[in-house]
Amino acid sequence: MTLAQLHPPAGPEAGNADTILSRATAIAAGPLRAAVNRIDHGHYPLEILAEFGAAGALGAHLARNGSQFGTALAAMGAASRVCGATGFLMWAHDVCGLYMEQSDNPALMGRMLEDHAAGRTFGGTALSNPMKALAEIEPMLLRARKTVGGYLVSGSLPWVSHIAPGQYCGAIARVHRDDGTPSHEIMFILRCDPPVELRPCPHFSGMEGTSTFGIRLDDYFVAEQDLVADPARPFIKRIRGAFILLQAGMAVGVIQGAVDSMREVEPALGHVNRHLSDRPDEIQAELDELTAHALLLAQTPFEQDPDYFLDVLDTRAQGAELALRATQSALLHQGARGYLMSSAPQRRIREAHFIAIVTPAIKHLRWEMARLSREEMPA
Amino acid sequence: MSATDTSEIVWRQYICRACGMIYDEKDGDPDSGIAPGTRFADIPEDWECPICGVRKSDFEPYVHSAPVAAPAAGVVHRSRTPGVVIVGAGIAGRAVAEALRALDSHVPITMVTSCSGDVYHKPELSIALQRGLTEAKLRKESGAHMAARLGVRLCAGTFAMGIDAARRRLRTTSGPLPYDHLVLAQGARPALPPVLPADLCWRVNDLDAWCGLAAHLDGAPRAILIVGAGLVGCELAEDFSRAGHKVTLLDKEDAPLAALLPPLAAERLRVRLEGLGVRFLGGITVERAERGNHGSAIVFTKTAHGEREVLGADILVAATGLATTSRLARSAGLAFERGIAVDPFSLRTSVDGISALGDCVSIAGAPCRFIEPISKQAEAIAHDLLGLPHAGYAHAAPVIRLKSRVLPVALHGLPHPDGAWRVISDDGAHLEMEQWHEGALRARLAA
Repeated sequence: MTLAQLHPPAGPEAGNADTILSRATAIAAGPLRAAVNRIDHGHYPLEILAEFGAAGALGAHLARNGSQFGTALAAMGAASRVCGATGFLMWAHDVCGLYMEQSDNPALMGRMLEDHAAGRTFGGTALSNPMKALAEIEPMLLRARKTVGGYLVSGSLPWVSHIAPGQYCGAIARVHRDDGTPSHEIMFILRCDPPVELRPCPHFSGMEGTSTFGIRLDDYFVAEQDLVADPARPFIKRIRGAFILLQAGMAVGVIQGAVDSMREVEPALGHVNRHLSDRPDEIQAELDELTAHALLLAQTPFEQDPDYFLDVLDTRAQGAELALRATQSALLHQGARGYLMSSAPQRRIREAHFIAIVTPAIKHLRWEMARLSREEMPA
Repeated sequence: MSATDTSEIVWRQYICRACGMIYDEKDGDPDSGIAPGTRFADIPEDWECPICGVRKSDFEPYVHSAPVAAPAAGVVHRSRTPGVVIVGAGIAGRAVAEALRALDSHVPITMVTSCSGDVYHKPELSIALQRGLTEAKLRKESGAHMAARLGVRLCAGTFAMGIDAARRRLRTTSGPLPYDHLVLAQGARPALPPVLPADLCWRVNDLDAWCGLAAHLDGAPRAILIVGAGLVGCELAEDFSRAGHKVTLLDKEDAPLAALLPPLAAERLRVRLEGLGVRFLGGITVERAERGNHGSAIVFTKTAHGEREVLGADILVAATGLATTSRLARSAGLAFERGIAVDPFSLRTSVDGISALGDCVSIAGAPCRFIEPISKQAEAIAHDLLGLPHAGYAHAAPVIRLKSRVLPVALHGLPHPDGAWRVISDDGAHLEMEQWHEGALRARLAA
């Protein structure tokens, strides 16, 4: 399936899928390509994200723009083909917009969402820990208690991306009653302004331009107008397919970039590269199938059938697995030139490993698929 | 017998066509008074299968050549070729592994199973309590031991998630597995009606589920409500009742096993079950069920005439049939019609490199979820995969057997929905009937 076969966007104000995608591709090939090494070394490319926003690439998936999840996914792919870190920022930005729009909270759905979707303001997502907590992988880190007009939240999150002072992110805390027992979870927009403490993270081996901080909260007040969902579980159940499926955009872009790198050296090195496995034609064929499947799933992002969610998890896992294989093969194809610190193939190896370990990591995806595949029985 | 081999006694094995139980002359059947070393021919004619109660004449020789110098037990290394990957380690999956290993000691075999791979005999589950079978007795062999014995690589606790048929790769929750041939023996799952919540309602379709339920039956007598009076529902009702529990058996039909049996036989079964203390409620549908106090269940029912009754039970069990989940088959584009559609002779699916057998398949659109055909299907698949000559699988309706002591039922043939039943003999204790349709004998019933 190609983008042209997607359902046409609804509403007169909705951006045209082909226009959004061609503009996103141009931004990726122009300013993003020029900045990719700086981003790899820590530059946080808000100026480029603003361009993607102005092109409609950060809001295509929203209902107000026709719920073009396939377009959003493909635009993220176009960016990730050049720079995986920027693709990840787009994903974080996209899902933050999704939280606001799906919240049914007028305070989050008006001007704030408009600015966000257009790339005039920025915010990400702090759902790594809660997603694992809800899948029974690890305990919930943020604790909340009810107070007048909202909740007080305390706790620390180790690393949250696409945040900075003046920005925001979606977050989840477990509410505890006065006697300390947990009652339910709330989801809210966490505003990264004082007194919220953003603590610098240690250096990572990749994705350094994603503005990633540790967050420490001490009785942070969540006003009712910042609540995305209370309780959070039904909300998460509704959006989890879209949340995970959009990440496939990162994978398809990084894989396509790897194939590009393999083809780039084909004229000079093809005579020896034919002895390698995972040749560009093979990877491309697998990628095309994966992309087509992801775009098909993107037509019904809120489908609640259990098999649909398993398909999303499986597709996301395939994307991560293929990204690992494709980027390794690209480095082998390029040899020493791909091993240069300034080269795309070595950077993509690090980006692909990020795709494989970012929540949900390959192991989490398999855990969750196994958990959901088990027959439920009485306790 | 020649003079040279008198020192080595050759024990033969015979397999029950109904349930797959194997009588080994070496072991005998001490529970039924048949001493070890008793030749099958010397067993009294009134001996019955210790599991399902069929007669001696329903056994046939079990021809099963020993593995050809199987690889040494222990660690099975990854091979240079992927070999055969089998999804499922139940009776069907194991039958294929055994059939392959008997023919070829080298072909790499990988078994993928969502459970432990421990060996048990599923037909025993619905008669386990009355036979005093515990979990330890039901579990015949550990998965690891079975894997070592057969020289297979066992991926336990692993779910098959998708098939990339073009590249011959199975995606699993333990990572992708390449294959040369894929055999689907995934079984079928209890088809739970939406009105019965999964966390409130037991289904007895595997050993783990049986163990979970049995743990709740230990100790005091319980009030058990079984929804669905098919073969499994009737067997469980009798088993629970004989173990001292208070059983209510409920079905939308007016009599137990009504879909299978002529009214005369079904009615007799109802009377016999009630004689045992089972309360049978016919013509009733469940509208919803909810949790009561202390884990009990409250079941809201309705008759065909609209009369409502609320039933309470300590334990709720559904025996509402089985269905093959389609997700895996769909991921490979396999033809699917109430089960994975297979060629009736080769058991190949519609996609190259993939075969299927057992509860998960359908032949000409009809599933056939019985034990008897499985070993024959496995033989056909093993020969097909190894390129060895074989006549192929010949599908025939298996003997359908109700494992009951109040009214053992054997049904030969396939009754026609419009066929007419006639009584051949009935002395009150034994009933024999035949069903004829368009001048042909369709089915024969002994109860």
